[in-house]
Amino acid sequence: MWIERKVLAQEIPAAAALDTRQLCEALAALGFPVDGVAALEGTEALDVDITANRGDAMSHRGIARELAAKLQQPLAPIATGAVAEGEALVPVWLEAEACPIYATAVLELGEGVTPEAVQSFLRALEASPKRLPAVDASNELLLRYGHPTHAFDADAIHGAVAVRWAKAGETLVTLDGVTRTLTGRDLLIADEAGPIALAGVMGGDRTKVTEATRRVLLESAWFEPKGVRATARRHSLHTDASHRFGRGADPAMARVARDLLVARLQAWCQAKLIGAWTAGSVPAPAAPVNLDLALLARVAGEAVPLEAAREALTRLGCVVTAAGDRLCVAPPTWRHDLAIAEDLAEEVLRLRGYEHIPSVLPPMEGPPEHLAPAYLLRQRVARRLAQLGFHQTVTYGFISPEADALFAAPDNPAAGRTLANPLGYEYSVLRASLLPSLKATAEQNLRQGSRQIKLFELAPTYRSTPAGPREQMTLAAVWGGVLGGEDYLSPARAVLEADLAGLSRDLDLPGLPAIHRLADGLFGFEVELDALPRPQDRIIPVFRPFSRFPSVERDLSLLVDLGQSYAALHQAMAAALPADSLLELRCVDVFRHKSLPEGQQAWLLRMRFQAERTLVGAEVDGWVAAALAAAESLGAKLRA
Amino acid sequence: MDQLLPPEIVEAGRTFPAALAACGDLDALLRLKAAFVGRESSHATRLMELLKTAPKEQKRELGAAINGLKQQWEEGLKARQAELEAAKRKLGALAATWDPALPPPQPPRGALHPLNRLMDRLVDVFRPMGFHVEEGPEVETEAHNFDGLNIPEDHPAKASSDTFYLAAHPELLLRTHTSPVQVRTLLRVAPDLAARGGIRFLAPGRVYRKDEIDPTHSPMFHQVEGMLVGHGIGMQHLKGTLEYALRALFGPDTEIRLRPSYFPFVEPGCEVDVSCPLCGAKGCRVCKGSGWVEILGAGLIHPNVLTYAGIDPHEWSGWAFGMGVERMAMMLSQTPDLRLFFENDQRFLKAMGGLD
Repeated sequence: MWIERKVLAQEIPAAAALDTRQLCEALAALGFPVDGVAALEGTEALDVDITANRGDAMSHRGIARELAAKLQQPLAPIATGAVAEGEALVPVWLEAEACPIYATAVLELGEGVTPEAVQSFLRALEASPKRLPAVDASNELLLRYGHPTHAFDADAIHGAVAVRWAKAGETLVTLDGVTRTLTGRDLLIADEAGPIALAGVMGGDRTKVTEATRRVLLESAWFEPKGVRATARRHSLHTDASHRFGRGADPAMARVARDLLVARLQAWCQAKLIGAWTAGSVPAPAAPVNLDLALLARVAGEAVPLEAAREALTRLGCVVTAAGDRLCVAPPTWRHDLAIAEDLAEEVLRLRGYEHIPSVLPPMEGPPEHLAPAYLLRQRVARRLAQLGFHQTVTYGFISPEADALFAAPDNPAAGRTLANPLGYEYSVLRASLLPSLKATAEQNLRQGSRQIKLFELAPTYRSTPAGPREQMTLAAVWGGVLGGEDYLSPARAVLEADLAGLSRDLDLPGLPAIHRLADGLFGFEVELDALPRPQDRIIPVFRPFSRFPSVERDLSLLVDLGQSYAALHQAMAAALPADSLLELRCVDVFRHKSLPEGQQAWLLRMRFQAERTLVGAEVDGWVAAALAAAESLGAKLRA
Repeated sequence: MDQLLPPEIVEAGRTFPAALAACGDLDALLRLKAAFVGRESSHATRLMELLKTAPKEQKRELGAAINGLKQQWEEGLKARQAELEAAKRKLGALAATWDPALPPPQPPRGALHPLNRLMDRLVDVFRPMGFHVEEGPEVETEAHNFDGLNIPEDHPAKASSDTFYLAAHPELLLRTHTSPVQVRTLLRVAPDLAARGGIRFLAPGRVYRKDEIDPTHSPMFHQVEGMLVGHGIGMQHLKGTLEYALRALFGPDTEIRLRPSYFPFVEPGCEVDVSCPLCGAKGCRVCKGSGWVEILGAGLIHPNVLTYAGIDPHEWSGWAFGMGVERMAMMLSQTPDLRLFFENDQRFLKAMGGLD
């Protein structure tokens, strides 16, 4: 809220002596940081950030009250002579508990406009003056004292006024010209012809004050916050009035604000008071709250003398009585946020200043807990992938239905994962797969001129279940573009599916995941993280003895058909070799060239043998011959 | 003397030094050698034949002349050979010399996402104080996201204009903060809280709010929540922990400042500022000249939050904080646009992320 310095100084004269920086620091220390300062003609306005629990501070008077308590300086008295009340000129019926007090008056307006000083104050606070004294005075009072009031054109009101719950379906045209259809939970002001205002939110068009208005009926009431909030939300009608009533106005201000409004109209336009009266009364205050000194000391981090606590709370307007080590505290009528002992402890600390809180490390009361295996696994996988040259991405958890459909399993319908109120259609489904997001990110990077794309993401994916979307932490990696070719030793080649297969082995994935071709030369896979082996509990594995005898390596170059299954060939050859001596059998080269017979390729198979003795050549020759025979049984031929 | 020798040999002998010098490599030198001193049909063999057939009285003088010539040629060839061999060795050595300035093959180098790095760093900072990591789902219930946190039933944050809800499950939403992890964790540990000796944890994670995408807003962002429950915990413990952690993050000279503020799930509540880590609190664009940067919100756990979880607030107390990761990352890196963190341009990731 904007606070104008000259008006603030009228409420607390001591504030005039502070420079802007001191004032901002004092306010920040009280919990009201200043977000900006606007220089105005002859004055300044501060943009003060007021938290939602402090409806009482949303005015110049409210901020002045806080400063007065902090600086221990007096507030200026509210300048009003009490208006003498008399008989009700118009009956006012309070038919709902949500409005316990309704102070009003009827005045006959005279000649005159809103004083220039008030107009410039309103302009400074971005509230445009209407030049109608009754309207401007009400606005000025709200900004200055925080109490919303309203002026009706008294001659537009038919008969008695009631504060009552709306009947469902009743309508009201509010001041903004919108026809509102009301519900039974909207509190309204009505005359005998129907609704004339949404209580605490906005007046009605039928009874609004215009330049033709001769007589006004003033309203200065108190409305229960929760109902005002609900009505404001229901009608998307967030006004200065609903903002303050919704956060809790001061019921004791109802009569005072009425009196101030009367005095302004009398001063500004020679208005003649015809009568003033009040329906209802100030509601009973909330029960006092007890504050134990032990609790205060625990919160504050050190003992706070009872007298100091009592003094601080008294400065804030509380009525405090001491009983032993306990204070019994009745909060002032404007503070609805002081409900428990901790609230009071905070007030004592706030006035002392949080800078006085000591700094202490909390003692350990029990053993620290371990990091969860799932968390450690994620850290390990992320680090490994980063070391392998992959870049971790963070993409939105919701995507478009079309993108989602690319990789969602048929038994994972999007309906169960769709948002009711998405930011837009393209962000409407909780994704079943990370691949659509990574594909889009990879393509964007390619468009930006990247030669090689290496991305991964660790994030939840969602599966529709009757109980709601089930989250599964998922790893996806995509790889594409050109590998190598960036230095004199590494030839360039396209990234292939085999590269992703190799990556999956590096990560110890159980089996080969499905490798998707996402675009030309762009591949990816995705696995649920639960599928990965958990980090071992053992720091180092159990020792397994290994042979110290030399190993023997033999290569076989085989001509095989282009359609030959490697798995079948490998299995057949391995079966022909002695399991206890075969260290490794793997294809180390694939050669395809027009010099080979058509329809054939050459595979170079490497065998490594080792045993608990020195292997002799003839023995190994026999094994290799057996392996060759096994390969030949599948149609392979020794390449000359 | 020369008149004793055939004129073509005299001529060859005269041009020998130039021919020698013209030999650019050992092959050329071998050819020259063969022509002059080779075993067959060289100038030397021809001279030897000449010597055989020379009159006896000339033999002595001729022999001396021939020997002189041969010696001159052989020495010249030998010296030139040594020269050429040295040059060849030098070239070989040059060829074997590695120029370290030539761009070498480099092992690939990727990067963790800067937001994840920052969260990992926070975990590292809190680990020595006995904090572990708790996590919770991103799809949450209203009970965990709001009710258990003392957030009133009609709080505006619950509105569909602020919070994403699931169409098929109106009671489910995308968590708007990491605080529901507090509720879940407290509910879980409440029965054996005394045996554990309280609890202290961090909850890093992704959260969602219905904000349009612009340079300072994102519908998805990250928070790190911290919580500690024990006996007799007060604001001094919050301040002590944060002072330790923020100094570990920003440097030992970092000052922290607590300012009163309000969050429904804490009482008292505060905002925490750090002395600007970019200018050393001298005043800069990032701290808007104030020397302070707001870094997180915190406070003592509201008794209603403990009570909701089944923990007696008369016996137990604690503190909690919540920190916006993007805000901190943007401040530290002076990244001008929040969207860069979600665009995942490899150049950005490589520059902003790291391996640890």
